[in-house]
Amino acid sequence: MTLWLHTLAIALLVSLGGALWRVWRGPSQADRMMAAQLIGTGGVAVLMVLAALQDWALLVVAFALATLAALAAVGFVKSESPDGAGDPEEAPPVKKMRGTGQDRAQNG
Amino acid sequence: MADIATYVLTGLGLVFFIAGTVGLIRFPDQFSRLHALTKGDNLGLGFIALGVAFQTETWAQVAMLLLIWGLALLAAGTVSQLVARAAVSESQKP
Amino acid sequence: MFRMQIFWTALFHRSLLLGGVWTSLTGAEALALGGLVTALAVWLSLRLLPATHPLVLWRAVRHIPRFIAGSVDGGVDVARRAFSPNMRLRPGWLEVQTDLPDGARVVLGGELSLMPGTLAAGSEDGKLLVHVLDTDAGFDNAIPREAEDIATIIGHKPKARP
Repeated sequence: MTLWLHTLAIALLVSLGGALWRVWRGPSQADRMMAAQLIGTGGVAVLMVLAALQDWALLVVAFALATLAALAAVGFVKSESPDGAGDPEEAPPVKKMRGTGQDRAQNG
Repeated sequence: MADIATYVLTGLGLVFFIAGTVGLIRFPDQFSRLHALTKGDNLGLGFIALGVAFQTETWAQVAMLLLIWGLALLAAGTVSQLVARAAVSESQKP
Repeated sequence: MFRMQIFWTALFHRSLLLGGVWTSLTGAEALALGGLVTALAVWLSLRLLPATHPLVLWRAVRHIPRFIAGSVDGGVDVARRAFSPNMRLRPGWLEVQTDLPDGARVVLGGELSLMPGTLAAGSEDGKLLVHVLDTDAGFDNAIPREAEDIATIIGHKPKARP
């Protein structure tokens, strides 16, 4: 069991490495934030596994990380809004978006 | 018995985590990537929490795992909407 | 009278929720302090976010299995697409007309974001913007049912549609 849990924790960390590639390449700020979210969730998972391996008190650390990851995303969204401190729905209406999803999917 | 449940459930969790990462790298546009991330990761975290729950020593630890997963689900649902909205506004900036 | 009833049910639900959080964090120790902290937290939560709708707790609980099943479906679907060589993505946007109040619309959006193939991106003029991963797969069929479930949980009566 100990061996499996160690392997699991390492595999989770490797999968987080993939998220770091997305942080590096972007292209948009939202992409980087998503990757940071993934690292938050993955970090919580690694901490849960380590809690089973080492010390159950690590669950409290996982809880704190989950809370902070959510707050980080909220901070990002607020900084992206037009006046830098508000609600993203203040942005102008999004009429131009319709139908662009399709052509974008082609050039991936 | 409990060990087998842990092997299977955490293994499944790992598969969904990897799926989330693969989707984040492979999917062609940012909104599709957000789909992969939100759904894949939370399911992965759920399975890992469930798998780890079979190794716990007290009920308080099970409650704590459940609490963390509930918080992560709630945060994922809310945060993915916010990030999607920010991405919509960002992609329209001149 | 009705407003008082909403207030008391909200007080009860939030005490239950926050008390539960305290108990699972501390493992049923320091209950006196916990009672005090829970009371303060409930007071703060009612002040910052006053209750506006009578939430029906057992309906919310009854909704959980469907939500879990939906999110497992969502994860499996997205994992299959991520691992398949051609991914079969056909992304597109939908506007969902809904007359749910603000908070409930956010809950609907959050739920849709975890269900298969749909992702909410906030709302515009009371319409929910939804991104779908594959416009041909019929993911949008699940939306009205979710909206209806949430409406019954908060006791919201839909306006008659023309």
